Amino acid sequence: MIQVAGKQIAWREGMTVSDLLEELKDPHPYAVVRINQQYVTRPNFAHTYVPDDAEVYLIPMVAGG
Amino acid sequence: MAKLHSREIVELEPKQNEMARIGTTHLVTIMNDHDCLPTHNFRYGSHPEAPNLGQEVYRRLFDPGFDGCWMGCTVACSHGIKDFVPLTGPYKGKKVFVDGPEYETIAGCGSNLGIFDPHTVAEMNFYCDAYGLDTIAVGTGIAFVMECFEMGLIDQTHTGGLDLHFGNRDAALEIVHQMAAGEGFGQIVGQGIRKMKAIFAKDFGADTTILQDIGMEAKGLEFSEYMTKESLAQQGGYGLALKGPQHDEAWLIFLDMVHNFMPTFEQKAEALHWFPMFRTWFGLCGLCKLPWNDIIPEDNKDTPEPAKVMKHVEWYADYFSSITGIEAGPEDLIKMSEGVYNFQRIFNLRMGFGRRQHDDIPYRAMGPVTETEYESRAERYDKQLTETNTFDIEGKSTAEKLAALRKHHEEQYDKLKDAVYKRRGWPTDGIPTLKTVKRLGIDFDDVVELLKTNGVHS
Repeated sequence: MIQVAGKQIAWREGMTVSDLLEELKDPHPYAVVRINQQYVTRPNFAHTYVPDDAEVYLIPMVAGG
Repeated sequence: MAKLHSREIVELEPKQNEMARIGTTHLVTIMNDHDCLPTHNFRYGSHPEAPNLGQEVYRRLFDPGFDGCWMGCTVACSHGIKDFVPLTGPYKGKKVFVDGPEYETIAGCGSNLGIFDPHTVAEMNFYCDAYGLDTIAVGTGIAFVMECFEMGLIDQTHTGGLDLHFGNRDAALEIVHQMAAGEGFGQIVGQGIRKMKAIFAKDFGADTTILQDIGMEAKGLEFSEYMTKESLAQQGGYGLALKGPQHDEAWLIFLDMVHNFMPTFEQKAEALHWFPMFRTWFGLCGLCKLPWNDIIPEDNKDTPEPAKVMKHVEWYADYFSSITGIEAGPEDLIKMSEGVYNFQRIFNLRMGFGRRQHDDIPYRAMGPVTETEYESRAERYDKQLTETNTFDIEGKSTAEKLAALRKHHEEQYDKLKDAVYKRRGWPTDGIPTLKTVKRLGIDFDDVVELLKTNGVHS
């Protein structure tokens, strides 16, 4: 299972960040997600695999100090 | 409400940014992946060695102890390196504490100089602090001289023998020491890019056009460390800022480039009105902006205007009302800033700066200056040209495409200026109208007289 923003999502072999976002049906255009302690940016969503038991944080990145 | 805000920070900050542990260093790899990390004097936005300056390196280097701006800060984003031993300068071989580095120091004194070694960045950070120099201005200034050196605009006869190729760590540090001492070539670099451009042209015979294109300053201030080539809104965020190209007023790169929240000129102009005004309000109150939009409520993305984080804006209006006893809503905060902001613009005018021409930015901030830059992202730039529907790229040389793209980008920036001036109430040459100053209650006699002297009569 994967933990995403407090929800449990079933993990499957070969699941990428893009697949996960598609499954969540969340239309927000995330720029970055964090998988455990690793930041993954949008250009890498399609080829970054999500490991089983991962904690995933969806980061909206509207900011800038 | 304050307790609620603190609780939200404690709960969400470790999930969203981890600033309490790694400061703003996470931005290095994020910006690198989005082609927004300046490298080699803003020529490019990414480099394969950038992860050497990223959060995983600084996670190990930073002292885990508290180093916030004030004891008790819930965010505590500031961090430092304990027992650091400089390799140069008056503290060579001694253990010192480095207060930083933060993202912009890493980009300015690292990637923008072609230096991807965290030790050198830390040493430059330390000496800039020790000497009272700004790490951003130092980084962007040295990046400029390094590019001038590589282009042959200056050589070792001008630099006192320093080899200023990108990536030369020893030379970069030596310039910092010379700047502080007011000696050697550092004495020239320390005067900033605007004066360097004049000196290089007059005394060294360098070409003024190329100096203007690659000298990353506006209003005499060096650019801070984000690439703006792909974000017209952030070109305005830097160029239309009163203090020069820093992002205290508006940081719109992701909203514009990644999220595409503001596709039209009017939407960009609205953002370049609202964000500078709200951000100015933090300055007026002496507050830090990070708790507003760096730690974001989990339901923020479902709100009508996620970029503004309106839940927090309302909290700030409530803070203001509770502390001052003056009832205020979000719109009142904007109006408070608008008065000050317009007064500052008029002050600039009085000092010889506050006109349209002073909001110009160097072309490097808008697009590729050299053919090499164009060719490095040819697919992207070809697409941009094709989308203009006015230029057929078929059979054209890089030089021809470079010139056409430049014309397009400069026209876009000009149109952005028009839209922003209209929104801000500055339709004539970027100067506030009498109607605007009257609406804001800053129609003092000398303000009105100054505007009239500058041709504003309504």
